[in-house]
Amino acid sequence: MALARAERLTFAYPEARAPALRDVSLELEPGEVVAVLGPSGSGKSTLLRAFAGLVPHFHGGRFEGRVEVAGRDTRSVRPAELAGTVASVFQDPEEQIVLSLVIREIAFGLENVGTAPEEILSRAHEALAAVGSEHLADRAVAELSGGELQRVCLASAVALRPKLLLLDEPTSQLDPGSADAFIEHVAGLGIAVLVSDHRPRRILEHADRVVFLERGRVVLDTAVPAAKTWLGENRPAWLGAATNGRATVQAERVCRLDSVQFAYRAGLPVVDGVDLELHRGEIVVLVGANGTGKTTIAKLAAGLLTPDSGTADLRGRAGMLLQDPTRYSIRERADEEVAVGVHGDRARARKALGTLGLGGMEGRHPRDLSSGERERLALASVLVIDPDLLVLDEPTRGVDPQRKAELAQLLHAGSERRATLVVTHDEDFARAVADRSVLLGQETILV
Amino acid sequence: MRPAPAVALLAALAAAALLAHHLASVGVVALVLFAVCLRAPKERRRFYLIGTLVSAGALFVLTPFIETIGSHPIWTGPIVPVLGQLDVTHEELISAGINALRLASVGLAFAAYALLLDHDGLLQAVRFARPAALATRLMPTLERDAAGFVEALRGRGVELTGVRGRAVLLSPLLASALERGLNLAEAMEARGYGSTRRTSLPRPRWRAVDSAAVVLAAAIVTAGALWL
Repeated sequence: MALARAERLTFAYPEARAPALRDVSLELEPGEVVAVLGPSGSGKSTLLRAFAGLVPHFHGGRFEGRVEVAGRDTRSVRPAELAGTVASVFQDPEEQIVLSLVIREIAFGLENVGTAPEEILSRAHEALAAVGSEHLADRAVAELSGGELQRVCLASAVALRPKLLLLDEPTSQLDPGSADAFIEHVAGLGIAVLVSDHRPRRILEHADRVVFLERGRVVLDTAVPAAKTWLGENRPAWLGAATNGRATVQAERVCRLDSVQFAYRAGLPVVDGVDLELHRGEIVVLVGANGTGKTTIAKLAAGLLTPDSGTADLRGRAGMLLQDPTRYSIRERADEEVAVGVHGDRARARKALGTLGLGGMEGRHPRDLSSGERERLALASVLVIDPDLLVLDEPTRGVDPQRKAELAQLLHAGSERRATLVVTHDEDFARAVADRSVLLGQETILV
Repeated sequence: MRPAPAVALLAALAAAALLAHHLASVGVVALVLFAVCLRAPKERRRFYLIGTLVSAGALFVLTPFIETIGSHPIWTGPIVPVLGQLDVTHEELISAGINALRLASVGLAFAAYALLLDHDGLLQAVRFARPAALATRLMPTLERDAAGFVEALRGRGVELTGVRGRAVLLSPLLASALERGLNLAEAMEARGYGSTRRTSLPRPRWRAVDSAAVVLAAAIVTAGALWL
């Protein structure tokens, strides 16, 4: 008997012009790992929310059809009552953290579902250990990196011992090693998992089945081998692994970090003795495990931070895209937002929006865009200033493979005019854009 | 010390400042709270201290022109429509000083609460106050959001300067807080918040220092009401 099923589910958010899901039918067996793939805005997150009961309870909207989880109709059961049977990890870990200490954060869900008080702490520690984060137990969540937060969110879900785990882009902020461990762990839990990801290669290794959504409809629902064949023939970008393969000509040096040290707190340097040179014409990718200081180095290169010791020499203008695209919503129209960096020049802003595939969205409020569109709006806001040094921190979060391929092309197209530094955990994207990779270890940079 | 007795102490100091009538007494309370706030990290406390001191300073400057008490004028100015004759008396200055120090004390007590206390522990102790306590965490969150907006603008080559420059952040900060609130509410519901099955993490034991803090808090309020 199926653990969960959606029958002819059609759902439209309030005031939406078109349904987010159309006539979706799907069954999940106990212990089955199902990958949900599809472009940005195809309805993946909505489908996950439907199985958590959040659609329609939390969001409202028009709901047709039926969704059942463990024999309970989600229309007649509140999401809070489904918690424990179902656990969710959403896209942005920063927006699902409730408490300020990690161990209490994990305990929060356990308290809500009525776990015996004497078991709460042991189960919280067990869940943290299961995701390789036992050392974070007594840390303040405000001090954690994005990747660490993502693991804390997973631990919070795993601690509930759910029958169905819903994961929305769960590895977007994890380094490859941690992402491998994360997915391996999830697949080994023996529970049903519905996981959506824009970096599908890793998920496909562990999934039993693939569901591919487009414009709210299921266009593919089959076992992984057949799905790979279909993707290869119909959506090759989803299988990734394109390589750069271009010859680069290095011109003058644009940025140089020399023996740079930086600490957010006295005595605890995040980067120590780092050397890095960036030249016009090259795209350098900075990779390394979570918490090794990649973002800090990127900010030092862009001049957003000043080194405590050593020198950071920047020739020309730097532009940096930060990890969080919600920071690019100062204005109420997309074109005005992009124009902020060019003294309100809306013509340039519109051109930049068009280049990023956002033509026609000039008048939309930045907060009304989907997560992938917001990411591209943020990138347009930085690219429009035409910097000598372009620094991108995790530019592919929430971006589907087709858009990633377009972004790689875009970076290549303009690369001769600038030096480009990309911080990313996305191996496929790194391979597609990098002229040179810099691996950041625990204490040193290896070039 | 558990967070609840610590909150009682901070509340008692703020209450004592509001109840006390002598400039020196209110000044001492404000100084104690200021010293407590200095234990917070420099970067975080700056925002709270500047906000509190500017508000208290503004109150001190404006009060003598609005109040009309006392018979010992220090300065007599022109007659202004609506406000009448502007003057500053010795009694008005004392009153302005007390009111400014009271405001500073309340602000500093809140700053100490926001900067130094274990909010999770407090939530656990006062379960019904969870939404209110979550709301008090809004300030640090707004602080982080504001820093994020400023950093994103710097990454585009835009530097915000002055109060007017930073005023452009007000609307996005509000929108950001609302959006974050909705997302958090959704995540909380998905994690069972509001279900009828709820249990609780065992609380740490009540110790002598906690009892002492509660007694001291009561004594401070009593002293503020009767003798200070």
